[in-house]
Amino acid sequence: MRALTVELHQLVRSRRTWVTILLIDLLPTIVAVLLAVTDIGPRPGTGPAFLSAVLTDGTLFPLAALAIVLPLFLPIAVAVQAGDAIAGEAQQGTLRYLLVRPVGRTRLLVAKLVSVMAFVLLTLAVVAVTAYVVGVLLLGTSDAGQTTTVSGTSLTQGQMIGRTFLALAFALLCMLGVASIALFLSTVVDSPLGAALGTMAVLVASTLLLTLDAADVVSDYLPTRYWLAFIDLFRDPIHWRDVIRGTLLQAGYVVVFLGAGWANFMTRDVTQ
Amino acid sequence: MIRTHGLTKRYGAITAVDQLDLDVREGDVYGFLGANGSGKTTTVRMLLGLVLATSGTAEVLGRAMPRAGREVLPQVGALVESPAAYPRLSGRANLRVHDALAGGRRRGRAGRVDDVLDRVGLGGVDQRPVRAYSLGMRQRLGLAHALLSQPRLLVLDEPTNGLDPQGIREIRDLLTELNAAGTTVFLSSHLLAEVEQMATRVGVLDRGRLVLQESLEVLKRPTGRTYVRTPDVAAARALLDGQVEAYDEASLLVRVRDVAALNAQLVGAGVRISELAPEKHTLEDVVLAASSAAGDRFDRDVPRVGS
Amino acid sequence: MGPIAVRAWPADDSDVSAAELLTTVQGNLDHPYSGYVEAQGTLLLPVADRFTDVGELFGSSTRLRVWWRSADEWRVDRLLATGETDLIHNAQGTTRWRYEQNDADLSHDPDIRLPRTADLVPPEVADLMLSDAEPSEVSRLSAARVAGRDALGLRLRPGARQTSIDHVDVWADADSGVVLRAVVVGKGSGKAAFTTEFADFSPVTPPAERTRFVTPPGADFEFDDVLDIADAANQYAPVVPPDRVAGLVKGPASDRAVGVYGSGATRLIAIPLRGREAEPLREQLRLTPGVREEPQAALVMIGPLGVALGGSGGDGGWLVAGTVTPDTLLRAVRDLYRGMVIVGDER
Repeated sequence: MRALTVELHQLVRSRRTWVTILLIDLLPTIVAVLLAVTDIGPRPGTGPAFLSAVLTDGTLFPLAALAIVLPLFLPIAVAVQAGDAIAGEAQQGTLRYLLVRPVGRTRLLVAKLVSVMAFVLLTLAVVAVTAYVVGVLLLGTSDAGQTTTVSGTSLTQGQMIGRTFLALAFALLCMLGVASIALFLSTVVDSPLGAALGTMAVLVASTLLLTLDAADVVSDYLPTRYWLAFIDLFRDPIHWRDVIRGTLLQAGYVVVFLGAGWANFMTRDVTQ
Repeated sequence: MIRTHGLTKRYGAITAVDQLDLDVREGDVYGFLGANGSGKTTTVRMLLGLVLATSGTAEVLGRAMPRAGREVLPQVGALVESPAAYPRLSGRANLRVHDALAGGRRRGRAGRVDDVLDRVGLGGVDQRPVRAYSLGMRQRLGLAHALLSQPRLLVLDEPTNGLDPQGIREIRDLLTELNAAGTTVFLSSHLLAEVEQMATRVGVLDRGRLVLQESLEVLKRPTGRTYVRTPDVAAARALLDGQVEAYDEASLLVRVRDVAALNAQLVGAGVRISELAPEKHTLEDVVLAASSAAGDRFDRDVPRVGS
Repeated sequence: MGPIAVRAWPADDSDVSAAELLTTVQGNLDHPYSGYVEAQGTLLLPVADRFTDVGELFGSSTRLRVWWRSADEWRVDRLLATGETDLIHNAQGTTRWRYEQNDADLSHDPDIRLPRTADLVPPEVADLMLSDAEPSEVSRLSAARVAGRDALGLRLRPGARQTSIDHVDVWADADSGVVLRAVVVGKGSGKAAFTTEFADFSPVTPPAERTRFVTPPGADFEFDDVLDIADAANQYAPVVPPDRVAGLVKGPASDRAVGVYGSGATRLIAIPLRGREAEPLREQLRLTPGVREEPQAALVMIGPLGVALGGSGGDGGWLVAGTVTPDTLLRAVRDLYRGMVIVGDER
């Protein structure tokens, strides 16, 4: 697909991509440095998951880094990136030139979505690798060569790597949900900022409602509901319940919002 | 090349384009004239599949738009309303992106890009990003975009916008040259002079309606009157009594079709002639006669037509 | 909370009588099972340092994973957003594993102790509330779907006049008799004070490996002589409470300083606190909305749960808490001060 090739090419060649990834990567790195220097873990029940455990086992730091970037940094970046997808082209006026080139509307949408997901994948990869290196260098590895699950049992390195990849895949799916919402808004409004802010408003509202008992009836359907369920992959045995529900919920968001975005974009007049 | 039947676009209660029947023939330089807000841009967008018609049909290169867009559009070069490009990329990089999107092979891409840059007079441009371009440079780059796929049909919306007289001249020469080589040009403009100088056929849009569509030759036909410039106005009036429609101290307007006969008659009577010519319709007269008030005027109780 | 569609699925009911169902439930209190439990407490207790955990149990939502082989072999994991606090009970005693603190504490599971997470699973709540219920106190409720299973409903209206509990509703698995959902409602309130239910349930005996625990390498391990403040008071306070307070009889497990009185839904615990333990709690009580300051004790009802603290200003005092009416609570405090026996020096 030509549009996809061009999109990916633009993604990796854009300076903005790398600056964003760098900024996202900076936070867990700072946290690692602070932990290594002070040796003070978070109080129980506070702070991101796994952060207390990395003091004894630096190889867990990729997971702590995931828990650090997943609630806020990564979704903001995804909202901005996906919000820009169509609205950004429209605002620049380049959308009409893409469409008369011609690039099919469906293809353009798919290319944009894949490019956003490539961005997330790239970010997750950079964060995970940096966090691993920083974690091992600054915080050291555990003596036993084994990793302790949240439930206090031991995992072999192989199991640990497998579960880490599952966690990354889950995070990727959650971000696909965010990207779908942002992409939908991006086809509705003509301002990339509007689409990004709209998406963030949805996420903030969802996070807020989750803390509210009165919103119990809808809480299971809020987009951020299961984001941090990836920690359940590191219990023993794996607590699949929320991971599966999270997967289905995100799939629902992807289908609904991508569908709506597609339907809207296909029938929309490009007047920008 | 372009044929529409009853093409209509409504935005809510506003009818931007109303029952348009365009007919652009192969080899034409078609001047699409209209005031600002008369619906030119909406029409262009409908032809290109960017805006979906409320009713009516449009055929471009013999195929229905927007349905056949994937086959039609690769043979069409377009400049829609204003040029646009990725501001952080250089003009060259922008063209490379579009060449890739159009399916051009990697091999030969640099050559194709250089070629269109040369044609629009940007051959020597450096690597500066497009956001640092002047308006005129952007306009030239937009034309380069349109020319990239060697189109059979060029659809240009205000192509000389932002260019200096020298630039306008160059673009006119370029379009004339392309037209001579077989490219049909659909030129949408509000500049009468521009159209008058280039077009072979003219369509005039007024408040969304096509009020005139004719070849320029027919439009500029003689009026049946002859313009006479002479120092002997009184003598000429006496001679041509009854045929003079207007006069001042140095010229007359005579209702006579046969200029040669008139010349012989005047010279025979000893009237000195410094200039003698058949009067022709001007495009401006024709257009103004066909159109109503300016599109961006807001008079009370006059329904407004969007673009 | 399952998806609405699943919850709306009608449950198969049965025409079993309330008395029969009560017998089934009481007879299946040690049936093996495993599953995932969500408990929701609405009682905001006045908590001071050493009672914080108890406050959380009754005042917030708790997610638990349970593997129950028998009363002697079980594991209850409390799932937290950032880790886990697990209780593993086996022949060695009860081990508490805390992931975030990276430590494991072993204790000899004393009979006299504060409530803990393992007490929140529906079968345990049913055990506590229904163990000596009379057939005259129960009636049938219509069946419900709980954790995707048919569950038969039973309502207990405790007959004892001292109790503060209006009724306890339980739904027992139609197949295994294990209680899948329990709802406690206090007198004078239409709302549930406490709800606990399985969201996933299996009546199959879980594997033995679930109830084994080996302290992971690098984690701290400790043996706790004293489990909590109730255990500490029970072991070391130089008093013996009377055999009967407010008309409730002391339970057989109360052979030392702490007294557990009554049974089923009418129960209270009396703990002798020292001055430095009592004082912060007294402060908290004073700040709690709805507190009653009587001459002999400060008292507050939080839903069906009453808390009273005797003594005053810097002194120690009896802490009395339980599912009894305010008057019963006050009578209990008075009876405690009247009937307690000082047993000389600290043991």
